[in-house]
Amino acid sequence: MSAPSPRPGDRMLVHRVPDEDDDQDPFRPLEWALIRRLFSYTRPVRRKMHVLVALTTIRSAQVTALVWVVALVITGPIAAGSLRGIMEGTLGFALLAIVTDGMFHFRQRYALEIGETVVNGLRAEIFEKLQRQPMKFFNEMRIGRMISRITSDVEAVRIGIQDVAFATTVQGGQMIFAGCLMAWWDWRLFLVVVTMAPVLWFVTNHFRMKYSRLTRATQNSFSRVTATLAESVSGIRVTQGFVRQEVNAGFFRSLLADHSRYNIALARTSAILAPLLELNSQFFVAILLLFGGWLVFHGGMGIGHLVMFFLMTNLFFSPITTIANQYNLAIIAMASAERIFWLIDIPPDWTDAPAATDLADPRPGAAAGAGARVEFRHVGFGYNPARRVLHDVTFAAEPGQSIALVGHTGSGKSSIINLVAKFYLPTSGEVLIDGREIRLITSRSLHRQMGMVQQQNFLFTGTVLDNIRLSRPGATEEEVRAAAARLDWLDLLEALPRGLHTEVGERGAGLSLGQRQLICFSRALLADPRIVILDEATSSIDALTEARVQKALITLLRGRTSFIVAHRLSTIRHADLVLVLDQGRIVERGTHASLLAAGGHYAALHRQFVQMDVDG
Amino acid sequence: MPEHPRTNVRNKPSNWVLIARLFGFAWRYRLRCLGVLGIQLVLLTMGIFGLSFTGVGIDYIRHQVMHTPISPNRLHLALPADWPRMRVLELLAGLIMGLALCRGVLNYIYNISVNILVQQKLVVDLRGEVYDKLQRLSFRFFDANTTGSIITRVTSDVQAVRMFVDQVLIQSLIMAISLTVYVVYMANLNLGLTLACLATTPVLIIIAVLFSRRVEPAYAYNRTLVERMVQYFTESIQGIAVTKGFGREPENRAQFDAANRAVFEQQYGIFWRVSLFSPTVGFLTHVNTVVLLGYGGWLVAHNQLPFGAGLVVFAGLLDQFSGQVNNVVAVVNSVQQSLIGARRVFEILDAPIEVKNAPGAIARPRLEGAVRFEHVSFAYDHSRPSASLSAVLASPVAAKEGSILTDINLDVKPGQCVAILGATGAGKSVLMGLIPRFHDVTGGRLLIDGIDVRQLNLDDLRRNIGLVFQESFLFSNTVAANIAFGHPSATPAQIEKAARIAAAHEFIMRLPDGYDTVLGEAGSSLSGGQRQRLAIARAVLLEPAILLLDDPTAAIDSETEHEIFEALDRAITGRTTFIVAHRLSTLRRADFIVVMENGRIVQRGTHEELMRVPGPYLHVADLQLADSRALQSLLRKEGTP
Repeated sequence: MSAPSPRPGDRMLVHRVPDEDDDQDPFRPLEWALIRRLFSYTRPVRRKMHVLVALTTIRSAQVTALVWVVALVITGPIAAGSLRGIMEGTLGFALLAIVTDGMFHFRQRYALEIGETVVNGLRAEIFEKLQRQPMKFFNEMRIGRMISRITSDVEAVRIGIQDVAFATTVQGGQMIFAGCLMAWWDWRLFLVVVTMAPVLWFVTNHFRMKYSRLTRATQNSFSRVTATLAESVSGIRVTQGFVRQEVNAGFFRSLLADHSRYNIALARTSAILAPLLELNSQFFVAILLLFGGWLVFHGGMGIGHLVMFFLMTNLFFSPITTIANQYNLAIIAMASAERIFWLIDIPPDWTDAPAATDLADPRPGAAAGAGARVEFRHVGFGYNPARRVLHDVTFAAEPGQSIALVGHTGSGKSSIINLVAKFYLPTSGEVLIDGREIRLITSRSLHRQMGMVQQQNFLFTGTVLDNIRLSRPGATEEEVRAAAARLDWLDLLEALPRGLHTEVGERGAGLSLGQRQLICFSRALLADPRIVILDEATSSIDALTEARVQKALITLLRGRTSFIVAHRLSTIRHADLVLVLDQGRIVERGTHASLLAAGGHYAALHRQFVQMDVDG
Repeated sequence: MPEHPRTNVRNKPSNWVLIARLFGFAWRYRLRCLGVLGIQLVLLTMGIFGLSFTGVGIDYIRHQVMHTPISPNRLHLALPADWPRMRVLELLAGLIMGLALCRGVLNYIYNISVNILVQQKLVVDLRGEVYDKLQRLSFRFFDANTTGSIITRVTSDVQAVRMFVDQVLIQSLIMAISLTVYVVYMANLNLGLTLACLATTPVLIIIAVLFSRRVEPAYAYNRTLVERMVQYFTESIQGIAVTKGFGREPENRAQFDAANRAVFEQQYGIFWRVSLFSPTVGFLTHVNTVVLLGYGGWLVAHNQLPFGAGLVVFAGLLDQFSGQVNNVVAVVNSVQQSLIGARRVFEILDAPIEVKNAPGAIARPRLEGAVRFEHVSFAYDHSRPSASLSAVLASPVAAKEGSILTDINLDVKPGQCVAILGATGAGKSVLMGLIPRFHDVTGGRLLIDGIDVRQLNLDDLRRNIGLVFQESFLFSNTVAANIAFGHPSATPAQIEKAARIAAAHEFIMRLPDGYDTVLGEAGSSLSGGQRQRLAIARAVLLEPAILLLDDPTAAIDSETEHEIFEALDRAITGRTTFIVAHRLSTLRRADFIVVMENGRIVQRGTHEELMRVPGPYLHVADLQLADSRALQSLLRKEGTP
C-alpha cells in the first residue's frame, strides 16, 4: 500500500525535520539478555513475582478445567437427562468458578504492581543517569528523544512486563491443556483442527506487522499536524499581523486530509484482519460439523466428544491470535527497552576524578565576601577535539577581582566561562581554583560557590519565589526579600500581579525579558557565591531598568571574583582586568583605561560599538 | 454548524446543553450514521442465523445417531428428510461458510465506513473549524492559555467530541438494537431460561458503572500526576544549565523522585480496586453459566428445550450478549470524556472574535500612513466574555487591573518616524498593537488617513502595516516562504528585493540552499541578527505604508546589533514608522520621541529638545553617553599627538 505523502512542491506551513527516532526500527527480535535485564527491575518485588508465576500457571489449567466441566455436564448428565448429575456438575462448576475468579484478582493485581515497579525504577534510573551527564550531552541530545524514553518507551516496556509475559503464559498453557484434551478425545479430528493453527498464526502476524508500520506512518503524519499547530499558536501574532489566516487554514486542512488518508489506510488493514479471524472460526465450525459429523456417523466417535470439540476449539484457537498480538507487543517492548538501556548506558564524557575533594569555603572564618582565586595556565580547549576554540589561554583572577571578557562572537568568551564553571574540562593546560586543579574539585562544591546569569535564563514552572530560591532551597521568604532588597528592586518584584508569589508560567511567559533577568540576578545573589559569572546578562533589559541593574551589580559583585561578558562600556569600565579575545587567543589585557590608551584591538572594538551609539 | 444559543461562558453550560449541541453536530452526518447502523443490523441477523445453523446441525447428528426427536426449531427450517446424512451436513456447513463469507465482506465494509465517517469527515471537519477559529482569536486567548493546552484542544479534545458520535451515539444504538434482538430471540427459545440468565445483567451494569465512577477519577488523577512528572523531567533538562550552575542536582533529583514516586504510590493504591472488576465480571458470567447448566440442563432433560438449537445456541447468544453489556461501561466512560472534550472545543468555537470588520467597512487597499491618536485610552475589559474567564484570571498578563493606556494624543504625518521609550509595562507594545487593531481602543479614537480604524476593512488595514517583533517568529519553512509569508504568491524577484532592502540577501546566499534553505524549528539555525533581518524583509515585502518595530534589537546580542541598523534605515524610508527602542543610536533616528510611563506620555520632542530638559530621557541618555564621552575623550587624546 503506497502511503500518500504531502507534495514536496507545496509551500507547506511546516517542514518537519524527521527525528532520528523516526529511522529507528520499531521492532526488535526477542533477546534473552534484554529480557533478563528488564526482569532484573522486578527485584524489589521478587516474592510477588514468584507467586505470580505460580498463579499464572494455575490459571491456564483452571480456564481449561472450567470449559471441560461445562462440556462434561452438557454431554453427560444433560444429554442423559440425569437431574442429580446436572445438579452435582453445576455445583462443581460453581465452586471451581469461585476459586478461579478469586485467584484472578491476585493474578491481575500482582501483574499491575510489578509492571508499575519496573516503570518506576526505569524512570528513576533514566533521570539519575541523565543528570550525571556533563553539559556537552545536553547540547547534543534532542530533548524530545529523552522525553519519549520516559513516556512512550517506558509504557511499551510496562505492557511487555505486565501483560505480554503473563498473558502469553496463561494463553499458551490453555492451548496445551485444551490441545491435550482434544487429542485424547479424538486424535483424528484434532489433527484436522491443528492444521489450521499455523495459517491463523501467519495471517495474524502478517497483518499485525503491517498494522504497526502503518501506525508509525500515521503517527508521523500526525506529528506534522501537531508541529504545524504548535507553530501556528506560537506564531499567531505574525499570522494575524500578516493576514495569513486563510492561507494557513488551507494548508492545515491539506495536512488533515493527508493524515486522514493514513488513518484510512490503517483502517483498511485492521478491517481485513478482524473479519478474516471471524471467517476462520466459522470455517472451523463448518469443518467440525462436516468432518465431525462423518466421524460420528462412520468413524465411531461419540456425539458427546463432538459437542466437547465445539466447546473446546475456541479455547485452543483464541490463544493463537492473542499470542500473535502479544508477540507484536513484545517486540515493540524489546525495541523500547533497547532504546532505554542505550540512553542509560551512555557513559558520561567525564566525571569528577575519584580523588576529587570539596572546594573549601573559607568565609565563615575569613573576612566576609572573600572571592575565589581563578587561574588559567596555558589552557587549550575544543568542544570537538579536532577543532580548538581556545589556544594557550593564561591569566589569573585574584580574589574579588572582576574580569571582563571582550571579543567578537566565536572568539572564545563563552568557552572560558564554560571552563570556569566546570561545564567542560580543558583539553590541555589547567584551570586552578584557589590554587587547586579544577579536576580535583568536586563539581557540586564548586557550583555551590558560584552564581551565574546568562542572556536567556531558564525559569521553572512555579512562583517567582520558587525560582529565586532555586539557588538555595532552604532560604526563607524573608531571606529572598532581603536579597531583592539588597539589589534595590524588591519594589519591582512586588509590583508583579501577585508579587513574589506570581506564577512564572510556561517558559517564563507573562514576564518581560527584564523581569526575568531580575529574578536571575536575585537568584545569583541568594546563593552568596564567591564566583559570579555574567554572560551578556544585561543585554535584554530595557534602558530604564538597566540603570537600576547597573547599580545593583555593584552590590552583587562586591567582594566576589567575577567574570563578565558584555558590550556596554558601563559594565566593562569598572573591571579590574579586561581580556580581549580573538580567535581563541588573548590578544590584549589590561584595564579599560590602559587598553584605550594603548589604542589597539580593544580601542578599535570599542570605537565600533560606541560610534554606533553616538552617530547612529 | 447549526445556530446555537450563545452560551454564557461564565455560567458553564450544563451537560444537557452540551449533549444537545453534540446531537446537533452528529445530525450533520445523519445519513452516514444511518448507513453504518443498517449494515450492523444485517450483520446481527446473519450472526444469529449462523449460530442457529450450528445448533440445527448438532441436533441433526444427535437425531441420526441417538434418534432423539427433532423439535421444531425457531427458523422453521425443515431439513430434507430424504437426503443422505452427509449431504445434509454439507448443506449446513455450506450455509455456515456462506454466511460467514458475507459477514466478512460486510464487516469490512462496516469498518471502512465507520473510519471514513470518523477520520475523513468528523475529525477533519471539526479540526479545520477549530483551527480556523483559533487563528482569529485575540492574543489575550493565547496569553491566557499555554501552547500545550491549545494544541490539546485541536488534537485530543476534538477526538473526544467525535467519540460522542461513533462511540456513544452509534454504539448505544447498536447496543440497543442487538440487545433487543438477542433478548427477543432468546425469549422465543425459552422465556424462563432467558429471564433466569439475564437476571445478572442489571447487576453487571450497575457494578460496571459504579466501578468506572470510582476508578475513572483515580485514573484521571493519575494522568495529572504523570503529566506533572513529565513536565518536571522536561524542565529539568531545559534548565539543566541552571541546576548544574548552582550545584543543585540532589534537590532536582529529589524533586523528580518525589514526582515519580507520587505516580507510583497513587497507582499502587488503586490497583487492588482495579483488579476487583474483571474477576467480578468473570464471576457473574460464570453465574450465568451455572444457571444455564442447572436450569437449561433441567429443561433439556425434560425435553422442553432442544439440545443443539436450544441450549448450545443459547450459550452462544449469552456469550455475545455479555459482550454487548460490557460495552455499556465503555459507552458511559465515552460520554464523560466526550463531554469534557466538547466543553473545551465549544469554548473555542464560541469565543467571540473581539476584533472584526464593522458592517460596511471602508475598503482602502492603499493607505497614506497618517496616524492620529485622539485621547486614546485602553483597558482590558473583564465584563466581556473572553475565551475562558478563569483562564484569563489565572494569567498574570491578562489579569492586570485598570487602564493600560490613558489619554494618548499623537499626530504622525505620513513618512514620519516615531520612537517610543519606556520601561517594561509602560504600555509601548499595547500602543503599537492598537494600530493594526490587535485590540481596540476603549476610549477616544485612532484615525488612519482620517478614518477611524474600526471603520476600515481589517484585512486592508493589516496588509498596509509591516510588523517586526522583539523576538521574531520564523516558521520551519524555507527562507523564501518565510519572507513571502504575508504574500505567498510573491515572485522570487520580489522576495529578493525585500531581502536586499533588509540587508539579508548576502547572508541568505551563503546559506546551504540559498533562498530554499529550510530553517530549523522556530528559525533556530540563524543568529538573532539574521532572524531579525528576515523579519524585516518579511515586513517590507508588502510595501506597507506603516511599519511597526517593537524593540527589534532587544533579543539580539549587542555585537550583531549593528548588522540590522542598515536594514532598519532602508526599511523605514518613506514609511510611517513606530519603533520601540532603548539605544540612543536608534532613538536619534526618529523624527520625534515619545517617553511613556504607566500608560501615559510623559515627554515628547526631538532628541535635541529632550536633551535640554531634565527628565527620564536625559537620565537614560546620560547613562549611555557616559560610554561615548569616554570615547570622545579618547578620540581627543588621539587627535592631539
